[in-house]
Amino acid sequence: MGIRILLHISLVMIFSPLLLGIAGKTKAFFAGRRGPPLLQPYYDIGKLFRKGNVYSPTTTWIFQAAPIVSMAAVLVSSIVIPMGSIEAPLEFWGDVILFTGLYALARFFVVIAALDTGSSFEGMGASREAAFSCLAEIIVFLDFITLALLSQTFVLSEMIKGNILSSWQLFGPALLLAGASYFLVFLTENARIPVDDPATHLELTMIHEAMVLDHSGWDLAYILYGSAIKLFVLGALFVNILIPFHGLSVVMQTVFFWGGMMMLAVGLGIVESCMARLRLNRIPQLLISAFVLALVGLFVVLIKGV
Amino acid sequence: MWLELALISIVFLGIVILGNNRLGTMIQLFALQSLVLSATPLLVYPGRHAVVMAIVTIILKVFLMPSLLFWAIRHVAIRREAQPLIGYGTTLLLGGFLMGVVFLISSNLDLPVQETSNLLVPSAFSMVMIGFLLLISRFQAITQVIGYLVMENGIFLFALLLLENTPLLVEMGILLDIFVAVLVMGIVVNHINQEFGSASTINLTNLKD
Repeated sequence: MGIRILLHISLVMIFSPLLLGIAGKTKAFFAGRRGPPLLQPYYDIGKLFRKGNVYSPTTTWIFQAAPIVSMAAVLVSSIVIPMGSIEAPLEFWGDVILFTGLYALARFFVVIAALDTGSSFEGMGASREAAFSCLAEIIVFLDFITLALLSQTFVLSEMIKGNILSSWQLFGPALLLAGASYFLVFLTENARIPVDDPATHLELTMIHEAMVLDHSGWDLAYILYGSAIKLFVLGALFVNILIPFHGLSVVMQTVFFWGGMMMLAVGLGIVESCMARLRLNRIPQLLISAFVLALVGLFVVLIKGV
Repeated sequence: MWLELALISIVFLGIVILGNNRLGTMIQLFALQSLVLSATPLLVYPGRHAVVMAIVTIILKVFLMPSLLFWAIRHVAIRREAQPLIGYGTTLLLGGFLMGVVFLISSNLDLPVQETSNLLVPSAFSMVMIGFLLLISRFQAITQVIGYLVMENGIFLFALLLLENTPLLVEMGILLDIFVAVLVMGIVVNHINQEFGSASTINLTNLKD
């Protein structure tokens, strides 16, 4: 058990920055540049870990704890997600709530750390993050309800692998709607275009980046690593739902899962290259559309009966 | 399976139309929705009747009406909805709520004919509701025309239930009616624009001596 969890977590830790690298390479390709090397996120994180920290005298222990807590929370959330042929090491009735709860915990700590600095700029970012993620959370829960109805279980790893193949045959449209709404949440939670631009700094419209401006050194490394892991875990959930590979041979499962993750990173790069960031007051509208899509997906499942 | 996919994409496009504020995009989305719609008769009752329906729908709703609407917005030179009566977010939420009601009602509906798919009636009703919502929540005359057309798409879907029992002539008559209606609306929009300098229907509520 312990070994399996360690293995799972180390796999997530090893591969998660790679997705950011692939997305960055795709964006560079679309812009006609060579772009940073694929392993650039690893170099960035390694560089930050070698640096010292600077703390403002107005901050308290919360500011120092937040990066570690947030990264630990998203890392723990990965152990309820199966990765290809590797089963989830931990599964129990209702771990869906744990999964979303851990994200709420991570977000809570980042937000209060941003408030802890006393900077009005970071407070603004924190309020935006809190507002948008409270809209996004409802959508995730609606999608989970749809999946739970389809699979008749409340265990996350069984929800996404149990009978997802037969669900696709019977309830394909509903799953497509749930998948589309989940993808929008995926973009929101990871602060990607069209919701937030991860590449900008010091701009009045940004959300996530504004909150972590005061972090430096290994604290910033934890934040960066945490967001890479978040991208990986939420993406793994998406790939598990979208590609029903469970029940195939071990090799095929591995190929499909990791191939799907690569495709997701490339897709993310394509979305980021083709779209402009939305104006801030249009983001709630995007999330409400995602909410309505998730709602209709749920209606479809309800009306067709499970 | 394919029918349900088509129905869901029609509903999806309806939601996107509801949340959009650019008239050009709205018209394009409507054309796309009509394209998906034209495939539905073939999926419900494959046959000669359905093929004719599909072809006529494509000609009228995918090419003629959108180009007419594009001509109208070029003439009145408006690109986006200026001030909707209800905000976009609220409209979307209302749309979601209405769809919930519709799904609830249509599951208890007693229909005289056998349904091909139990998603057909809810999605038809949803389109009618979205069309109504567009009609009442927007001021621009063009948006209201699009709302009317979306509503008509819903009615078209609903009529699919009776496709086998309806003579082709009646269907053609309905489609021609709609085409003429859109033509007239395009002219009316132009006149509103000439009279008031904008195509907002809010001007029509003012009294004038």
